[in-house]
Amino acid sequence: MEKLLEVRGLRTHFHTDRGLFRAVDGIDFSVGRGRTVGLVGESGCGKSVTSLSVMGLVASPPGQVEADAILFEGRNILGLSADERRRLRGGKMSMIFQEPMTSLNPVHTIGQQIVEAILAHTQLSPQAAKARAIEMLELVRIPSAKQRVDDYPHLLSGGMRQRVMIAMALSCEPALLIADEPTTALDVTIQAQILDLLQDLQRRLGMAMLIITHDLGVIAEIADEVVVMYAGKIVESAPVDALFADPQHPYTIGLLGSIPRIEVDRERLSTIEGSVPSPNNQPKGCRFAPRCPFADTRCHAEPPPLRDLGPEHRVACWKAPVELARAA
Amino acid sequence: MNIAETTPVLQVDGLVKHFPVSRGLIRRKVIGMVRAVEGVSFEIARGETLALVGESGCGKSTTGRLVLRLMDPTAGSVRFKGEEIATLDKNALRRLRRHMQIIFQDPYASLNPRMTVGEILAEPMAVHDLHTEAERATRVRELLDVVGLLPEHARRYPHQFSGGQRQRIGIARALAVNPDLIVCDEPVSALDVSIQAQIVNLLQNLQQRFGLSYLFIAHDLAVVKHISDRVAVMYLGQLVEIAGKRDLYDRPLHPYTQALLSAIPRPDPSVRKERVLLAGDVPSPFAPPPGCRFHTRCIHAQPRCRQEQPELRDAGNGHRVACHFYETLPKPPAASTEGSLGKLPERLAAFEAAKAARIG
Repeated sequence: MEKLLEVRGLRTHFHTDRGLFRAVDGIDFSVGRGRTVGLVGESGCGKSVTSLSVMGLVASPPGQVEADAILFEGRNILGLSADERRRLRGGKMSMIFQEPMTSLNPVHTIGQQIVEAILAHTQLSPQAAKARAIEMLELVRIPSAKQRVDDYPHLLSGGMRQRVMIAMALSCEPALLIADEPTTALDVTIQAQILDLLQDLQRRLGMAMLIITHDLGVIAEIADEVVVMYAGKIVESAPVDALFADPQHPYTIGLLGSIPRIEVDRERLSTIEGSVPSPNNQPKGCRFAPRCPFADTRCHAEPPPLRDLGPEHRVACWKAPVELARAA
Repeated sequence: MNIAETTPVLQVDGLVKHFPVSRGLIRRKVIGMVRAVEGVSFEIARGETLALVGESGCGKSTTGRLVLRLMDPTAGSVRFKGEEIATLDKNALRRLRRHMQIIFQDPYASLNPRMTVGEILAEPMAVHDLHTEAERATRVRELLDVVGLLPEHARRYPHQFSGGQRQRIGIARALAVNPDLIVCDEPVSALDVSIQAQIVNLLQNLQQRFGLSYLFIAHDLAVVKHISDRVAVMYLGQLVEIAGKRDLYDRPLHPYTQALLSAIPRPDPSVRKERVLLAGDVPSPFAPPPGCRFHTRCIHAQPRCRQEQPELRDAGNGHRVACHFYETLPKPPAASTEGSLGKLPERLAAFEAAKAARIG
C-alpha cells in the first residue's frame, strides 16, 4: 500500500510559563492513499496537536514542531518554505474542525469563502470558481445550493455549517482530509448525516482521511486503521477490527470497557482509576503505569517501545502480548 | 406502606414554558413565542431514575429548570411529594429546595472560583440552616469521602481539580443537604469517556446508598441506557415517547426514537450497519410545524400527521407514544444485531481482576 502521509518521530513541545509541555512526544504513523486512519484518545493526549503539526498550523513560539520527517507524497514537508507549505494547505492537504461556526467568517457569505479557497489554489476565473462553489455545495447535499451560496453562516444550522466546511475543504480535491472532531459539536442524528456524507465523498473522490476523535463509536464506523494516543505517545495502533476485538494495551482495554454500549446490558462500567498526567510532569517509565492495574517495577522505571505484535498491530507495553503475560 | 411512600417524588402535569421574542429598540414589541416546552407530563417514583433525552433545543434542560422552579412555568403543575410548587411563595420554595438539588453539565462554571471546596460544600448547609459550624466541617469531610475525594481537598480551590474531580465536587454539593431528588443536567457530557464511566458509577452507587431519585437529562442514549429505569424522549418541546428502559430500547415505537437509536455510532466495527438517516434539521421552536411536530422529518408521515397533533397513547406496560400510526409502522431494523466483542470481554475481566487485586 502506498503511503500518502508518513510521520516519523514527531515531537511538538510548547514553551510556557509553567514549563515545557511535551504535547506530542515522539510518534510515528502513516496514512495510506485512500485510507481512513482514526487518531483516538482523551483530552490532552496530543491528538489535535498532532493534526495541527502535520498541517503546519502550530504557532511558533510558543510551539516547536520537530520530526525526523513528515513525508507527504514522498516529499519531506518540513523542509518546505512557508509559501510552499501554504500552497499545500487547503490544496492537496485540507482540514475541517470541530466548531463549524468559529471556523467560518461571519461577515462573508459562504459562497465568497469557498470561492476564496478555490481562487487561492487554482487558475479558475471568479465566475468559474462560483460555479464550482455551487457544485461543491450540491456535492455535500445542501438543498437549493444556488440560493444558499449567498447566505451568511449565521443563517445555517450547525450541521449545514459543517457541510459548508467540508465543501470548502474538498473544493481543491485534496489527497488528504484531516478532520478534527468533525461531529463532536453536532446532535446524534446530524452526526449520522455527516459521517455518512464523509464516507460517501471519500469513496467518490478517493481521498485519504485522518480523523481525530475521542468517540470510539465514530472510529468503529469510519476508520480502516486506528492509532490510540495517551499522554503524547502512541500506545497502540492496529487495523480497526483487530483493535476492537483484540485490544492489547491496558489503556485501550480500559477505554473500550468504559464506553456505555446500547447493545450490551451491564451492571457497572469498567473504569480507569485516576486521571491523565500533566504534560509538564510525565511519569518516567510507561506513562500509563500510574493508572495501570498490571504495572510492575519495570513499567514504572522504563518507557516501553512501540513494538510490532502482528500484521500492522503495534503496541507499547512491556506486558504485551496479553496472553503470554498472564500465563507467566 | 403509608401514603408518603407511594406518592411519586415528582409529578409533572401539562408543563408549558413559552419565551416571548421581542423586536424593536425603542418600542419593543413581542412578535412571537418560542414554545420551549409544550404540555409535558411525567412522574418519578422514589429511588427511580427517569431520563429525559432529546437533541439540542428540544426543551429538556428547560424542563429540568421548571421542575426546580429555577424559572416560572407559563402553565402546568409540578408537585414534589404531593405538594404543588408552581405556585409556592419564595420562603416556602426555599424550604423545599433543600430536598431538590441540581448537578450541572459544566462543573467549572458552576463552582465559585473564589471559594475553597470546603466553603462550597458548607454553603448549602448554611443557607438551609443545618448543623452547627463544627458539625458542618465533619459533614464536609464525609461528603468528600462519599464522592471519592480526600479530606485535604477541602482547602483547595476549584481550579486545582480536573474536570472529573470538579464534577465530584458538584455532586457532593448537591448531596450536602440530603435531598430526595437530584436533577442531573447533562452531568457527564463534558467529560472524557474514562472519567464519564467513573461519574456514572458514582451516581449509581449514591442512588443505592441514599435512595435518591434522579431526573437525568442527557442527549446520549447509550449513557442513558446505563443509568435510567425509565426514559422519556422529547422532540421540539413535547414528549414523543416514554417507557421503561428495556421496552424503549428493545421496542422503540416512535419513528423519532427509532431514528435516534439508529443514529448512535456503535463502538463495534463488526456490525457496520444500514441506518435510518433522518433528513434535514430540527425545525425552529419559534414556529413549530402544525400537526405532529416530527412530520417534516418522518419517513412514515401521512396527511393526517400534518393536520392533527398526536396525543400520548398507552401502548401497554406503561409504554406511551405520541404517534397516530405506531401500530401499523414497519418494524425498524433491529438495533441490537449480534456483534462480536472478540477477546475484549476476557481482557476486561482480567483488567478488572487486576484492579480489584491492587485495591484489596
